Amino acid sequence: MRLLAVGGVIAYRALFNWTTPSMFVGTLLVGPLFQLLFFAYLGRQLGVADDSFYIVGNAVLAASTACVFGGTMAVSNERRFGTLGHVLLSPRPRTLVFLGRAIPYAGNGLLIAAFSLVVGSALLGLRVPLAAVPGLAVTLAVGALSCAFFGLTLGALGLRFRDVWLVSNVSVSLLLLLTGVNVPADHLPGWMRVVGGGLPITHSAEAARRLVDGDGFGAALPSLSKEAAVGAAYAVTAALLLKVFEAESRRRASLDTL
Amino acid sequence: MSVLRLIGRATLLHVKQLSRSQFEIATALFVPLVQATLAVYLFRAGTEPHRLLEAAVGAGMMAVWSSVLFGSGGAIQNQRWQGTLEMLMLAPRPPALLVFPITLATAVTGTYAMIATLLWGGLVYRIPLDVADPLAFAVSVPAAILGLGMFGLLLASTFVLLPNANAINNTLEYPIWLVSGMLVPITVLPGWTGPVGAVLPTTWASRAVRESVTGSGPVWPSLGVCLALSLGCLVAGALVMSYVERRARANATLALA
Amino acid sequence: MALAIEARDLRRTYRTRTGWLNPRRLELDAVRGVDLDVRRGELFGLLGPNGAGKTTTIKMLNTLLIPTSGSARVCGFDVVSQTREVRRRIGYVFGGDRGLYDRLSALDNLRYFAELYGVPAARQKRRIGELLELVGLTGRERERVEGYSRGMRQRLHIARGLLHEPEVLFLDEPSIGVDPVAARELRNTVAGLAATGTTVLLTTHYMAEAEELCDRIAVIAGGEIQALGTPDELKHHAEGRRVLEVQAFGVSDAQLARIDGLPGVREASVDVVGTAQLVTVQSDATVDVQADVLRLLDGVRLGRVTARQPTLEDAYVAIVGRSPVGAAA
Repeated sequence: MRLLAVGGVIAYRALFNWTTPSMFVGTLLVGPLFQLLFFAYLGRQLGVADDSFYIVGNAVLAASTACVFGGTMAVSNERRFGTLGHVLLSPRPRTLVFLGRAIPYAGNGLLIAAFSLVVGSALLGLRVPLAAVPGLAVTLAVGALSCAFFGLTLGALGLRFRDVWLVSNVSVSLLLLLTGVNVPADHLPGWMRVVGGGLPITHSAEAARRLVDGDGFGAALPSLSKEAAVGAAYAVTAALLLKVFEAESRRRASLDTL
Repeated sequence: MSVLRLIGRATLLHVKQLSRSQFEIATALFVPLVQATLAVYLFRAGTEPHRLLEAAVGAGMMAVWSSVLFGSGGAIQNQRWQGTLEMLMLAPRPPALLVFPITLATAVTGTYAMIATLLWGGLVYRIPLDVADPLAFAVSVPAAILGLGMFGLLLASTFVLLPNANAINNTLEYPIWLVSGMLVPITVLPGWTGPVGAVLPTTWASRAVRESVTGSGPVWPSLGVCLALSLGCLVAGALVMSYVERRARANATLALA
Repeated sequence: MALAIEARDLRRTYRTRTGWLNPRRLELDAVRGVDLDVRRGELFGLLGPNGAGKTTTIKMLNTLLIPTSGSARVCGFDVVSQTREVRRRIGYVFGGDRGLYDRLSALDNLRYFAELYGVPAARQKRRIGELLELVGLTGRERERVEGYSRGMRQRLHIARGLLHEPEVLFLDEPSIGVDPVAARELRNTVAGLAATGTTVLLTTHYMAEAEELCDRIAVIAGGEIQALGTPDELKHHAEGRRVLEVQAFGVSDAQLARIDGLPGVREASVDVVGTAQLVTVQSDATVDVQADVLRLLDGVRLGRVTARQPTLEDAYVAIVGRSPVGAAA
């Protein structure tokens, strides 16, 4: 467990070497906030759904950019800096080390999601019931973590496919569409809803909406468990992919080719 | 005449250079398609299900803006990374004339997304391309592209002066979509955003294009305002660019090292 | 005789800041008072070790950098205030493989720059054809530059720099990273240009290149010109010296320092040549240090030992070694 945390801290520091404080504020805090405002006003204009729907959904989604790119970066940067080999060859339990990389990005995502929720609500005048706050914190955290594992899966795929950033880019924009955060799920075609159900954010956004509506933690729990299950599935997938590609790259000696 | 020829040829070459990056093209096509799809479902879910063509065109305009914002905002930095910035600046021309073709090229490559969203709308969602005023549409889209390219020069020259340009770049996508009413004019925005939108060429560009699609208003005045504002940006951008060049020579920031 | 380049007391200081939490200002004097006169049609070499101020000097002359103080004129035009006039008349080629549009073909690159330099449309096609022929890229001009070898890119750079038939050509380390055969072709091309009356200012740290090509050479170190003259004149700087070369295997820094400290020794250096080391000792011609040197190398396996007259390279070593920076290093 300690190993998991330490590996995480190191990766997090690497993240900040890469992104300056202004990058962080601009790209990760202000960017998602504008995204939230954009969809909230668009929703008002088109009469799709109320502010609460957009604020809560987009706040949960706000974590996605940081988490998905973070997870991808966790793998691809180590490859770029030539440290992936060291991680894979270290005698510690590799899978744990690897999964630990996602945690700081998830923490980062949680911070961003919370910020978006607070500022978005303040700007657009949404009142979040005080009783919902602890549940919301858990929900945002689960959503962020599941997003980060999703990113890690994409990053692991990146070991095999070259254009991993393209995949992350498209994935982040697909989350906008498929998670039902911006288009209410019942307006999406069935297959999109199915795909959305397998993506992070979808269920945690649902859970968060329940909480903000004052339905209580019990009402949010089923969705929250689904989100946790989705996240766990991505964690397992990422670990499996890494094992497979690791074995493969040892055979083909392609680990350090960029 | 030779200046126009230079701009034309240089723009063409930069379009070629940009179009040959698979990553850029793939991102520039996929993401707008997702956004167009999102727009279609939003319009259907809302009160405007009959305005789907506007959703497709609007998503295309959004993509043009994204292309200009990221392409022009980073234009000078990109040239510096390629090592071509010094080569450009050594040409015996005003620096604005060297950078404008690049920003114009970013607007031109943005039209790939516009074409893609229209095709996508037509093929997948059966949105007929029945434009109210085809002639006005055929004129206003290229004119809007030209306008945004001019606006791009101002972005390119001012962003290179800002220490945190990348960070600002990443935040400016959604606000401009919103304030300029690129997908749909937003009447529910706070009042103070009105004047902000009114001075942006992007607002008038999307307005002119939308008017040509829907016939909801006369296209030419909007297009005129768009081009006038854009010309203003071009002149301002050229002035800033000359200052930037001088400063870069003094501070030794043309080269990468 | 008219001057192509004249520089008076050129200086350039770089100021940088590091750190955003606790910013520190650093100042670096890259060029500290350079005077140059290059005649029209001359092939002039600027020779010096890395970091000597060669590139900074060239970038001040070609308008890319504004001098901190001093002045310079190219073809009679001031490099700070009359940039347009200067740029019309100069070409700039630097070593390395950057500075081209990689995803475009050579032809596209050349057409683009021809347009930028205002080569009349009617002349462009012929001019580009001539240049492709000159640099030996005919037949491959439609391929994308990203597939080119380093030497090919370098030749394309030269073609690009010559599009507008410049009066003065600045060549900044053109042969860096180019294989020996390509470097030889490059030298032939440069010599050919000079023969047609183009003024060439070449920077290099390859002695042989400078000696073979240049009419006159300025040796620059520590941001100052240490010596200037024809290759023959420069050789005088090593006059009154003799050179001892010892092939050795496993000389330590301490041994070299002791050799350097011998009475009569002016410079001692070690180069790695293949699997062996080559110890070069310059001494006063009146002193025979061979016995002392061999005594200090006792215990080291030695190969051939030769005594010879100084060459331009030895002169260069003597000049650079005498400069304050060289002496400190």
